[in-house]
Amino acid sequence: MNAIIEARGVVKSFGQTPALRGACIAVGPGEIVAVMGPSGSGKSTLLHCLSGILVPDQGEAWFAGQRLDTLTETQRSEVRRDKFGFVFQSGQLVPELTAEENVALPLLLGGARRAAALAEARAWLGRLGLDGLGRRRSGELSGGQAQRVALARGMVGGPQVLFADEPTGSLDSVSGEMVMSLMTRAAREQGSTVILVTHDARVAAYADREVIVRDGTVGSLTGAAPSAGTAQSSEAAR
Amino acid sequence: MIRLGLRLAVSGGREAVVRLVIVAIAVGIGVGLLLTAVSAANAVNTQNDRYAWLDTSASSPSQTGSGGGHGGPAAPLRLLLTTDEFDGQTIYRADVAATGPDSPVPPGIPQDPGPGQYYISPALSALLRNAPADELADRYPGHQTGLIGQAGLPSPDSLVIVVGRSAAQMSHLPGATEVTSFNTTPPGSNGGVNRGDGLGAKGLDLVLSVVALALLLPVLIFIGTATRLSAARREQRFAAMRLVGATPRQVSLIAAVESAVAAAAGVAIGFGLFFVLRVPLAAIPFTSQPFFPAELSLSLPDILAVAVGVPAAAAVVARLALRRVNISPLGVTRRVTPAPPRAWRVLPLLAGLADLGFFAVHGEPASNSGQVLAFTTGFALIMIGLVIAGPWLTMTGARVLARRASRASTLIAARRLADDPRAAFRAVSGLVLALFIFTVAAALIATQDTKKVTPVDGAAAGNTLIDQFLTITDGGSATGSAPPPPATVLTRLRKIPGVQGVVEFQADPGLTITNPQLQIQGFPAAVVSCAQLAGVPGLGRCPAGAAAAKVPASLTDIGGGNLAEFTWPAADVPARRLDSLPLASLDVATNGSQPAIEQARTVLENAYPAGTGSPPHTLGEDTAAANGADNAFQQLADVVILTSLAIAGCTLAVSVAGGLADRKRPFSLLRLTGARLGMLRRVIVLESAVPLLAVAAVAIGTGFTASAMYATMEMRLSLVSPGAAYYILTSAGIVLALVLILATFPMLRRITGPETARTE
Repeated sequence: MNAIIEARGVVKSFGQTPALRGACIAVGPGEIVAVMGPSGSGKSTLLHCLSGILVPDQGEAWFAGQRLDTLTETQRSEVRRDKFGFVFQSGQLVPELTAEENVALPLLLGGARRAAALAEARAWLGRLGLDGLGRRRSGELSGGQAQRVALARGMVGGPQVLFADEPTGSLDSVSGEMVMSLMTRAAREQGSTVILVTHDARVAAYADREVIVRDGTVGSLTGAAPSAGTAQSSEAAR
Repeated sequence: MIRLGLRLAVSGGREAVVRLVIVAIAVGIGVGLLLTAVSAANAVNTQNDRYAWLDTSASSPSQTGSGGGHGGPAAPLRLLLTTDEFDGQTIYRADVAATGPDSPVPPGIPQDPGPGQYYISPALSALLRNAPADELADRYPGHQTGLIGQAGLPSPDSLVIVVGRSAAQMSHLPGATEVTSFNTTPPGSNGGVNRGDGLGAKGLDLVLSVVALALLLPVLIFIGTATRLSAARREQRFAAMRLVGATPRQVSLIAAVESAVAAAAGVAIGFGLFFVLRVPLAAIPFTSQPFFPAELSLSLPDILAVAVGVPAAAAVVARLALRRVNISPLGVTRRVTPAPPRAWRVLPLLAGLADLGFFAVHGEPASNSGQVLAFTTGFALIMIGLVIAGPWLTMTGARVLARRASRASTLIAARRLADDPRAAFRAVSGLVLALFIFTVAAALIATQDTKKVTPVDGAAAGNTLIDQFLTITDGGSATGSAPPPPATVLTRLRKIPGVQGVVEFQADPGLTITNPQLQIQGFPAAVVSCAQLAGVPGLGRCPAGAAAAKVPASLTDIGGGNLAEFTWPAADVPARRLDSLPLASLDVATNGSQPAIEQARTVLENAYPAGTGSPPHTLGEDTAAANGADNAFQQLADVVILTSLAIAGCTLAVSVAGGLADRKRPFSLLRLTGARLGMLRRVIVLESAVPLLAVAAVAIGTGFTASAMYATMEMRLSLVSPGAAYYILTSAGIVLALVLILATFPMLRRITGPETARTE
């Protein structure tokens, strides 16, 4: 498998507290991988290192044949903007912006014209069932709606990798199911890789493969090489 | 990015707009004060320049021809500049006689008045119209030929008259000189004529520097507090942007645009505030004289510096501040406890005290500019030092509180204070500075009050008009005299209703007097007839059986005491010799009524024309003039104290409300878990009260220490404790601060309701 994103022996500590102790993971193009583990195991830290949000203390983070951890802050920001998408548990929407402006934000940051960026954003909102909510601010949306806006924003730039950290953590089961269905469908349509951090087995079941992080190291739990068939059967099983 | 920044600044929802408005108001107040301070400095300079021509003498420097000047030497102008009084106001009088068509002309009038004519300021013209002629108009020979324009008037209330004379008349006026031009800038460092009222240029420089500092620093803190409003929300927003790929540069550009927009709105408010307040401000006699409103003006560089500089500075500061915060894509989710403040933070405060202490021990710098630099540096270091040391003092207080905490509210408040003492102190920093300023002002004014001229006289002597022809030189000798008054003058004086007696003091060169109670030793003495003195009991009495007595030659140059109770030593001067001695002063005892004093003054001025000694004045007027500067200081101090307290109150209210808004979620969660509202209220009060009380104690102590050092070196006095009003007002200020905190309680109840805990 040619990995599109990879961590090699990543070590990361916060002060005296180690979070990752030589974590290794490789994820192929179009693959949906669920990263599971108990609280404090380091799964979110692994996602942050893989996405260039954090720089490992030791080890390497690679994306599409390029080392991420040696890039400057600005270069990593540009990679996040142009190649990655993000859906976090909460707090990732800009409260002062409307839903459509939030979705258009990565495009605007990349230099797209406002009208074009908003048109693209509206299209994505429509695809995710949020027609008519584009002018609302995040405080005027339900949790599930806000999470779908975040998903639209994550997908609007056509990311090669979508990072999702407990994307249904603050949602009820119905909303969570809807968000996960939309996310996996959109990712597969775009051919995006998804790295999904969750502690919820039902969410993890949407993935092609599951890995488990325990005490800062990654172990394989289930899964096979990515294929449309596996994914489909996985979803069919639900 | 600029467009996105603009979008976020002006239409980012209610919270963003409220933030924009509060920041704009804070910046507006700051800019308004800044513009007022700059324009006031300009106006003071213009006013001093306008006094310059009234200080022209034959050898004056910095003269510019305002008449003649057609290439060749101008025909000189015979000139005598004197001052006069009416109802406690100073009248500036110029007697002039042109010697040719190109003789210099005083500013503000088209030509030199001829004999029998005079030009007059509008204020004096109004006074002449309203006052009886025998009280004022009769002092000026001739008729009004025109008004003096603004160019010749220091102030709209200035009482100025330019009296035309013939050359022959001028030759009889003692002290008249010939000039070829008028001063356009004040000679020397004293900044203008010895006006005898208001603040001197040296005092003004220093006072304006301290006032600017005392006002601008609280305003800067207010602006800083306002810009940090919703800081948590902004950090969350910037973190979200960083997460989706905004580079640090893009985020800092957006922050800079937001700040610049708020600052630009603030600049507009500031200019509006300045222009609205300009006219009423011009009427406040900061220099003991109001300004012409047009002179509270700004130069083009002033306007450009503020209009461009403030938004630019706001943008730069926003970028720098954000660089320091270094918002990561995870933003507030991985907030790291800031490093605790270190003890070095008290060093600037100690450096300020050391600066003042050094000059207190070694003496103040000789030059005016050196003194201004020394004092403003010291006070600036102390004020900035208080702001820098505040977080460390807050943390120290919080740690003490945490060790003793037995209730949940105390523990939460103490831990939060210890965790981020900078934020906690920021809320009260304006108030702490205001307390420092108040303490310094109150202590120095109380000390200055001990220097106030105490009436030398008792009421009777205070109402005695003294026309003194003899002056005491720096060497302590007496010089000058006048011929005895004609009988007609004495008759006219005695006929004035309210005049109780007239007494002539005769100059007797070489005669001295010593009196410990009046603080004089070997002081030049004059001789007075005991028969005359008996008619004016307010000036003391003769020993029994004496024909003449020895009295101080100048009653205005001696210490305090009730003259009516003095028995002067007998003078061994035969009556015949007494009559032959020249006149040292002619004193007219009145009942204190204005008509009596002014009518007597008019008679005396006509009897002894301008230039013969000093103009007639009462001892009461002398006392009032000497204390005029103190009253101006007091007025200025009141303005500074009230303004800085008001700004500090705004800072506290905005800061506490902003802190509540930022923590509404944790507080609402605490309430959900059963915490009572009362407990949260105690947390809020403690969070503000601890830094307020801890640093206020230091500020007040530092204020007294700095004042004591300033009093020692500049005023040559020991510090005096301010009166009860200071302690009452200080306590009231602190109580008011606590009330302001209590005023946020309804907001606490509203924003910590269960609905706030809803996940976004």
